[in-house]
Amino acid sequence: MASDLAIKTEGLTKQFGQTLAVNKLDLEIEAGQFYGLLGPNGAGKSTTIHMLTTMTAATSGEAWIAGQQVSADPVAIRRTVGLVFQDSALDRTMSIDENLQFAAAMYNLAPDVANKRIDELLSVFGLQDKRKRKLVSLSGGQRRAVDIARGVLHKPKVLFLDEPTIGLDLPSRRAIWRFIVQLRREEGMTIFLTTHYLEEATACDHVDFFQQGQLQKGGTPLELTKKLGESILEITTPNPENITAQLAPLFGSPIREDEDLSFKIEADDVDFYQLQQTLGSSVSSMKWRKPNLNDVYLWTFCDPEQGDMK
Amino acid sequence: MSWRPVKAVVGREMSKLFRQRARLISSMVRPMIWLLVIGSGVGSMLQGPQQEGYLTFLVPGILAMTLLFAALLSALTLVYDKEFGVMRMMMIAPIAHYWIVLAKLIAATLTAMVQALLLLILLLVMGLISVKIAFALLLPAVLTAICCAAIGGLIAVWSKSIDNFAVIMNFFIFPVFFLSGALYPVNQLPEYLHYIVVINPFSYGVDLLKHAVPNVATDFSIMTDIAVLLGFSIAAIVIACWQFSRESVHAPLFHRMSK
Repeated sequence: MASDLAIKTEGLTKQFGQTLAVNKLDLEIEAGQFYGLLGPNGAGKSTTIHMLTTMTAATSGEAWIAGQQVSADPVAIRRTVGLVFQDSALDRTMSIDENLQFAAAMYNLAPDVANKRIDELLSVFGLQDKRKRKLVSLSGGQRRAVDIARGVLHKPKVLFLDEPTIGLDLPSRRAIWRFIVQLRREEGMTIFLTTHYLEEATACDHVDFFQQGQLQKGGTPLELTKKLGESILEITTPNPENITAQLAPLFGSPIREDEDLSFKIEADDVDFYQLQQTLGSSVSSMKWRKPNLNDVYLWTFCDPEQGDMK
Repeated sequence: MSWRPVKAVVGREMSKLFRQRARLISSMVRPMIWLLVIGSGVGSMLQGPQQEGYLTFLVPGILAMTLLFAALLSALTLVYDKEFGVMRMMMIAPIAHYWIVLAKLIAATLTAMVQALLLLILLLVMGLISVKIAFALLLPAVLTAICCAAIGGLIAVWSKSIDNFAVIMNFFIFPVFFLSGALYPVNQLPEYLHYIVVINPFSYGVDLLKHAVPNVATDFSIMTDIAVLLGFSIAAIVIACWQFSRESVHAPLFHRMSK
């Protein structure tokens, strides 16, 4: 077992009754990586995290965190990992300080060490003035920040973030991403993140896609978007059939959603202004842009050339 | 294993107990109502010296009731914390999961003892017991508190959600209390009820408390009481720890969250 791997799994499987939540997952994530597991809700991302953090046992297969077998010594694994749950694990009736002191004591940190660490983390998250505030008086974004602070109190080698931005408004989501990037810069920990806001995962070193318990190998976000194509053309039209017939020979079949068509364009010399004039009033809107991870996901799982919705 | 996480869990419960002062004071209302209303009401049906005697007879029973409610409700925070997600803060900590149960049951025992002490002070002020009796009641109260916490732990690890609370009240707390000899001497009960009282571990706590009060008839020997209380508590705590450490107990918690 190579020790420079932060996370390794072999055939990791979880079954809930008849439902196969995670199916024979093989992963190798190097230490220090910022890894993103992307996929829709209910794909098995959280279950994977729970298996890797000893919150639930695998049905079969095995996992290693920093070289330690997960099933062999769950307590040692919990000392090595930090986990920020999808929804808050904090006590709403207590203050930020009380919550973090409690969590620090659960990690067996001495009070003076805990105090220093809490100060440090709250200033990263810009919450140093709110330390004595009750949790209920904070915004959703601030509460999530406290949750993340709780997850890294004990300086884990591997930090698991389960949908860290779910349910937050856009400014808060951006703020949380800034915190994560800054934390990683300062602490150098391996981060394993799941999200279904795929376009957010561009900060990751490596992303894989997860769909119905199955892993689809990905790559770096830049590679993936480059590989997908040069640009994405989005057209809204009352006559999707006509437009498809007109453009498919040029760009290939689009992904269609009612009146919205999305073409993947591989050539880098398409004259969109010319195209706009040709189509004229037969379209109600037309937009072209660089592909993002969302497009990569859509074209991987809903490519019209390979049949609908795998 | 360090004690700091255990102290943190116990400390959290204690700070909640003292923060909710209104609840602490209101926890004294229930035993007072029982003592004054039932004690005087039922007592008035009795003749002459028996009237006085019934109030004294009720003292151990009322003290045991306070311990039972306090310890059981405190042990049920195991379910409450699961419901509100806070349990996950303890589950992800680098301690074996049975320590969470042990810490919660220590907290439940302490919570029960805090309320018992308050009640003893009240009873002292009312002149129903002497200082000597109050001190004699302390050790039996501790053993009873541990037994009640253990009962609470057993119920808590098998409860899926706090919605079961009314069920717990009706199926556990009331039968355990009424079928214990807290309100009447066991020996005078019809035979079938007598058997239930004998298998109810709480009865032995009530009986041990009765031993501490002079002129109150008891049903078992002190040694029997202590042996049953300790034996039951240890067995119940071991079973509660084992059940809590089984993954299937928490599977709904995480399965639900991961949807």
